[in-house]
Amino acid sequence: MKTLQLELRLALHSRLAAGALILLLLLTALAVWSGLHAISNQRDALARIAAVQRDDVAAVAEKYRDGGEAGYAAYSTPHLTVNPPAPLAFAAIGQRDVQPYALRVRLLGLHSQLYESESINPELAAAGRFDFAFVLVYLAPLFVIALMHDLVAGEREAGRLRLVDSLPVPGARLWRRRIALRYGLVLAALLLPFAFGAAGADAGLGATVLVALGAALYLAFWFGVAAAVAALVRTSAAGAAVLLAVFVVLTLVLPTFVNGAIGRAVPVSKGAELALAQRQEVHNGWDLPKGETMTKFFRTNPAWRDTAPVTGRFHWKWYYAMHQAGDDAVAGRAGDYRAALTAREDWTRRSGWLLPSVAVQVLLHRLADTDLESQLAYQDRIAAFHTVLRRFYYPYIFNDRPFGPAEFAQLPAYAAGAGGGGVAVTALGALGILAFAGLAAGAFRLRRVRAL
Amino acid sequence: MSATFQPAARQRSDFLRVAWAVCREEWRALRRSAVAVTAGALLLVLTLAATLVSWDAMRAVEAERAHLQHEADEQWNAQPDRHPHRVVHYGHYIFRPLSPLAFFDFGVDPYTGHTLFLEGHRQNSANFSDAGQSSVLLRFGQLTPAFVVQTLTPLVIVFLAFGSVARERERGQVRLLIAQGLPGSALLAGKLASHAAVALLLAAPALAALACIGIADNSVRPHAAWMAAGYAVYVVVWALAAVLVSAATPRARDALLALVGCWIVTVILLPRVMPDVATAQVPRPTRIETEVAIHKELAAYGDSHNPDDPHYREFRRKVLAKYGVGRIEDLPVNYGGLVIEEGERLTSALFVRHMHEEFERQQEQAAIVAAAQFLSPVLALRSLSNALAGTDRASHERFLLEGEAYRYRMVQALNSLHVNEVRYQDDRDQRISKSFFQRLPRFVHEPIGLATVVERHVRPALAVFALWLAVLVGGAWWLARRLERGVPGR
Repeated sequence: MKTLQLELRLALHSRLAAGALILLLLLTALAVWSGLHAISNQRDALARIAAVQRDDVAAVAEKYRDGGEAGYAAYSTPHLTVNPPAPLAFAAIGQRDVQPYALRVRLLGLHSQLYESESINPELAAAGRFDFAFVLVYLAPLFVIALMHDLVAGEREAGRLRLVDSLPVPGARLWRRRIALRYGLVLAALLLPFAFGAAGADAGLGATVLVALGAALYLAFWFGVAAAVAALVRTSAAGAAVLLAVFVVLTLVLPTFVNGAIGRAVPVSKGAELALAQRQEVHNGWDLPKGETMTKFFRTNPAWRDTAPVTGRFHWKWYYAMHQAGDDAVAGRAGDYRAALTAREDWTRRSGWLLPSVAVQVLLHRLADTDLESQLAYQDRIAAFHTVLRRFYYPYIFNDRPFGPAEFAQLPAYAAGAGGGGVAVTALGALGILAFAGLAAGAFRLRRVRAL
Repeated sequence: MSATFQPAARQRSDFLRVAWAVCREEWRALRRSAVAVTAGALLLVLTLAATLVSWDAMRAVEAERAHLQHEADEQWNAQPDRHPHRVVHYGHYIFRPLSPLAFFDFGVDPYTGHTLFLEGHRQNSANFSDAGQSSVLLRFGQLTPAFVVQTLTPLVIVFLAFGSVARERERGQVRLLIAQGLPGSALLAGKLASHAAVALLLAAPALAALACIGIADNSVRPHAAWMAAGYAVYVVVWALAAVLVSAATPRARDALLALVGCWIVTVILLPRVMPDVATAQVPRPTRIETEVAIHKELAAYGDSHNPDDPHYREFRRKVLAKYGVGRIEDLPVNYGGLVIEEGERLTSALFVRHMHEEFERQQEQAAIVAAAQFLSPVLALRSLSNALAGTDRASHERFLLEGEAYRYRMVQALNSLHVNEVRYQDDRDQRISKSFFQRLPRFVHEPIGLATVVERHVRPALAVFALWLAVLVGGAWWLARRLERGVPGR
């Protein structure tokens, strides 16, 4: 304990080390605050949206005071779906700043509504967010480098390495103690502000601990690598150079390269093709005999087969049948599109086996429920709600029942699921293995440090 | 100093001779350093790889968009005879084409939708952005030549230059050289020149890629030239700054720490923190709020379906007066079409006004970020580079505005067919020949003119660099005198 106290005093005696730790603490606190702020902005926006939606529906309902056509009511009523942020979203905002977190759907074709985008400032989005994940993934390794690059060379340059070598305790143990102390300090600087944020955001203990575990493993990897490099190089400048090169390759170059490769290997142009095909399918309906469209529709909705046949130039039955037939016709393409998006997620996870920066990002964004998977799940919930809408409106439309205030009062409401991410077990496993490998390399190299 | 007694010309040639000798010596030292050669070679390979990879990626994207546009145009032309209002709802798809320079700098393109569905009465969002279809990996950035030169090259420059003066001072060589009568300014000038040249060499593959595009494609030649100039000045600023920091700090290690700190703050930290500041400062409504606001304003104008609506009653009166008839059935044109035309006029004006309001808010946010470009020159370079590559926010906004203008022209052309080619009686049961639709003009995307780009983005960025150069030259002058006085940096 005494030695640890001495080491602590030694570590903090260096102005660089103390300054770096305080700076990291401040930056993390700023990132946590900024993340909380961004998420509370999103919650406010959702509240505003809910308010304008209530007004909007009330205005439509007003027109149906004396009852009216269900088909027309469905045509003019937008239904709100929302994807509120999970408690941990503040720590890893991820895709939440580019994906829509609220979307209104009508009874029309789902696939012409599902891919609407949110109005964003692309310039700000391109820069990326300053959140806890950013501090952990990009900044923390730089602080590790600052604290570790002269671990051995600093002693050598100060002429103390021979002294260290002549101590009765094995050198490796001294280095281990030093590294453990620095590791603890860096981890504390990161996790203290995060813990406050997580408590403030009501994130569950389990998820909070998992984030802490991810951060601990990621830092362990970097401390291991830094120790290995510090033990190898002769001068502290060389240590800094090599470590920065490793940092640049692992967090700047390889992830962008992998992203480019995935983008090239798994194209997603099917999204736009799907939109084109769906429009074509729906609008061709206007040029075809109505019976043909109805037959297509009854194939997937046999329940309405025996309702009164469509006659005349226009009927809502036929109109919605046409829209649903359009959705059905592109179901295959929608599946392909979805498969391509999922494949991108899968390849990203796989790259986490080699890249700790990717593994920790995947882990954090899954816990925060702010990744692509989260958005796809939201789209699934919208699709399910759209089916609920169809089930609600179709009896009125197909049985020609009037639609008035009583019916408006019963419009189905979208129930936002209890948001919350999951655990990317493979990413956690990968991170564990990489951290172990880093630490092993560090321990191995440090054992071989000699004074000359 | 002995030089003061010599004629000015002699003195100048001495200065150049010494500076040149120092410069060559520095190069030789760098060539001998395994670390320097490795770092430089790796960066060169990386720049080359980034150039090829992003060139290939952009060509794929371009081909895909061209293919989709072709498909959409085919669908449009393949329409059967239809009622023009049917076609208004059928709508048309347009896809944003890319500038040939986009491969160099993707800019905001991955974050903006490129697919725009144009239909009557409605304004749709541009959809299918890369950001919406990518994993978290996208947020690491894109491996483009721009990314390499903006972010990584400065780091390598710093590594090659941090010891340039400081290490020699640590060894006592600087004091020795000055004592031998070497002018400090020539020494520093030589070091500055050598590292500026090295920086340009590091950026050479990227600059060469720009030159190739400039030679191959007339239309973007001046863009490529401005861009190359911007990047060249940027790396030179970094090289000069690195050498001067090295000359200002007592030990090489301190110089390295200070420079890496500068890199972290200006290249990694500020470009991330400023957007968050801007987001917090300037609130923006969500898409749904804007949609509802437009809807409400539209409802306030009047309801075309309500026969007693004041706006449309007045409209009817004017139309009847214009044609000198008493009943809409007696009009020589289709009144139904006229009403739709009027409605579209009102809606489109609202769409455009709200778009401009939104763009102004985004511009306000951008101005907050741009305020930091004097501290972080990479922000200035990014603005220049994105704008010249046609991948900046303004280019996207132009696409949206052009899309809306085209949507309006297309819908009104169809409405005019409705007015003139479709009878008022049994309006909805009629169809007109598909040849009418096929004759409508196609969407043509005109990129922002070079003069505007230079005025709005290139000049301000170059002004930032000029300021930096002025500060650095002033700093060099001061440091050179300090070297001559033999004051060690402590």
